Amino acid sequence: MTSAIAAAAAPAAALAAPSLEARALVRDLGDEVKTRILHGIDLAIAPGEFVSVTGPSGSGKSTLLYLLGALDRPTSGDVLIEGVSTVGLDDRARGALRGERLGFVFQFHFLLPEFTALENVIIPMLRRRDIPRADARARALAVLDQLGIGELGGRRPTQLSGGQQQRVSIARAIAHGPRILLADEPTGNLDSAAGEAVLGIFETLVRDRGMTIVMVTHEPSYARRAQREIRLRDGRIVEIATGAPATVTTR
Amino acid sequence: MRATLFIAGRQLWHRKLLNGIAVLGVMLGVLTLIAITGIMRGFQTKFLDTILQISPHVVVFDKTLGDTTPIVDQLLGGPSATAIVRQTSTDRQQRIARPTETVRAMRALEGVAAVAPLVVGSAVASAGSKETPVELRGIDPEVQDVVTPLRSMVVDGQLGGLTGAVDGAMIGHQLADLLGVKVGDNLSCASALGDRVVLRVVAIFETGVAALDKGRIYVATRRAQTILGRGDAIDRIELRLVDPDHAPAVTAQLEALFHYDAESWQETNASMLGVFDQQNMITGLIIGAVLLVGGFGILSIQIMIVLEKRRDIALLKSVGYGSRDVLAIFLTEGAVIAVLGAALGAAAGHFVLAGMRLLKSASGMGYSKPSTFAIYERPIVYVLAFGFAVGVGLLASLVPAWRASRVEPVDVLRGT
Repeated sequence: MTSAIAAAAAPAAALAAPSLEARALVRDLGDEVKTRILHGIDLAIAPGEFVSVTGPSGSGKSTLLYLLGALDRPTSGDVLIEGVSTVGLDDRARGALRGERLGFVFQFHFLLPEFTALENVIIPMLRRRDIPRADARARALAVLDQLGIGELGGRRPTQLSGGQQQRVSIARAIAHGPRILLADEPTGNLDSAAGEAVLGIFETLVRDRGMTIVMVTHEPSYARRAQREIRLRDGRIVEIATGAPATVTTR
Repeated sequence: MRATLFIAGRQLWHRKLLNGIAVLGVMLGVLTLIAITGIMRGFQTKFLDTILQISPHVVVFDKTLGDTTPIVDQLLGGPSATAIVRQTSTDRQQRIARPTETVRAMRALEGVAAVAPLVVGSAVASAGSKETPVELRGIDPEVQDVVTPLRSMVVDGQLGGLTGAVDGAMIGHQLADLLGVKVGDNLSCASALGDRVVLRVVAIFETGVAALDKGRIYVATRRAQTILGRGDAIDRIELRLVDPDHAPAVTAQLEALFHYDAESWQETNASMLGVFDQQNMITGLIIGAVLLVGGFGILSIQIMIVLEKRRDIALLKSVGYGSRDVLAIFLTEGAVIAVLGAALGAAAGHFVLAGMRLLKSASGMGYSKPSTFAIYERPIVYVLAFGFAVGVGLLASLVPAWRASRVEPVDVLRGT
């Protein structure tokens, strides 16, 4: 039923093969006492779609994002990334899939403190045999330039502001050319101006590169700027809004 | 590989102090190993070299084993009449029968380089008002020189003087000092059973072994037999072997063939060799403990770093690095620390040994004459130290590296 609502609420682009697909996704946490965090989520996200995920704390937003990003394994159900089922993949294959097809942006930028901004952007590409080091450097410089921080490439993370750090982490997430970007509260640690800048970058990535973006956020105004807003409560999708608050479909 | 080296190298450099301490731990371990091995083995090697230089490899005594007939008697058909006729009441019961034939038979054995018959006994040497107990050895100087190279130990006079002068004596340099005699001077020598004889010092020797240098006199065989009252008896045969390590086997063979008690140089020096074994064991334990401490240094520092870097590990994994990549990064860090520590320790060990070579050993370590420290320094010690240190370093970093590789990114992201 939920998948029907999701499909119905998806924009026209969703009619193409999904970039990300969740099938009857269940996730329990806890060792002795199991707590069900997600209750059978069905979801299809189309290529080039910008989706926000909202909901109160503990509603399962981040858990859903980690499952969609193959960072976590579902208790049952499956996640398909560009048509590839992740349920049967071992850790190595899941790592390779993440490294090639996905980009991650976290609330805390997770930049490696020993490396410069430029090196932080290069590191995910270093393990890729198909990207020569010179090419990785050129790509990283180009992306940092596009995000307006080209001149900061030589600085360490501690020498950057919060907004600049988050831009570097976005550059790291997209420099290797993934088609899907998963962002876990990317503006949660930023002031409004820096948050606005991040949203602007996401919209540009969707518009100019056709990237698929799934963004978990607590900020309603940012959530509404996505093409679809998926609202979770107690591990279930309760609302899917498209375009603007007026078009909210309530389950 | 490029990512592993790049990340490992930068992480190492970023924590210079901590990793420097780990490198220092390994370095001290390797330094200790090389320095202690160099000094201990150096002393032991010098001791053994001295022993093998101044002592026979095998000594055959006049004590018979059981009632069996010696091989010479077997070959010649029992004791000869001449031997029985010449036996007097003053002859000791114990003596080596038919020494000439016995020596010849021993010389024919495989692995035997030289054989020297001699007579040995206790006497008192005196010069003027000074006297001292000595061990008197009656030898054929030219034959004995092949078994225990006496000529090389002569510091004054000539070994040939023993052959030329019937009353010639070669004495240790400390004995010469004690009695206040020099080459050309006379000294008197007597024993409980024999005659008092006046000897002329024809040579003074120095072995480096204090006990010999102040307590031994060499004279011609016939003169010793007179002083000791031994008639024409030979009571000892000394052998030099082609390979000193074969001494126990040759000793057993001699006992089986000739039925005289025989002793290899290893048996003669068993107590000192036993001390060496204990020294080596204790040294090994100390070195092992120091290297283990170095290993624990790496272990604790790496574990601390892994705990501190859980978020960074989670990030690496979320951007595509696998468990093996993370394992490789931390193992590489451990290997670099171990290799660097081992290389620095080897260099420091070499310098310490070079410095020790310049120092004088004041006491001669209680055995040999005072000299510079004998140092044992061979490539194999460096190879073993390096290999051991790198092995310990890699083992020590295995646990933290494995823990790092087990970090689940989602656990860190959830904050658990």
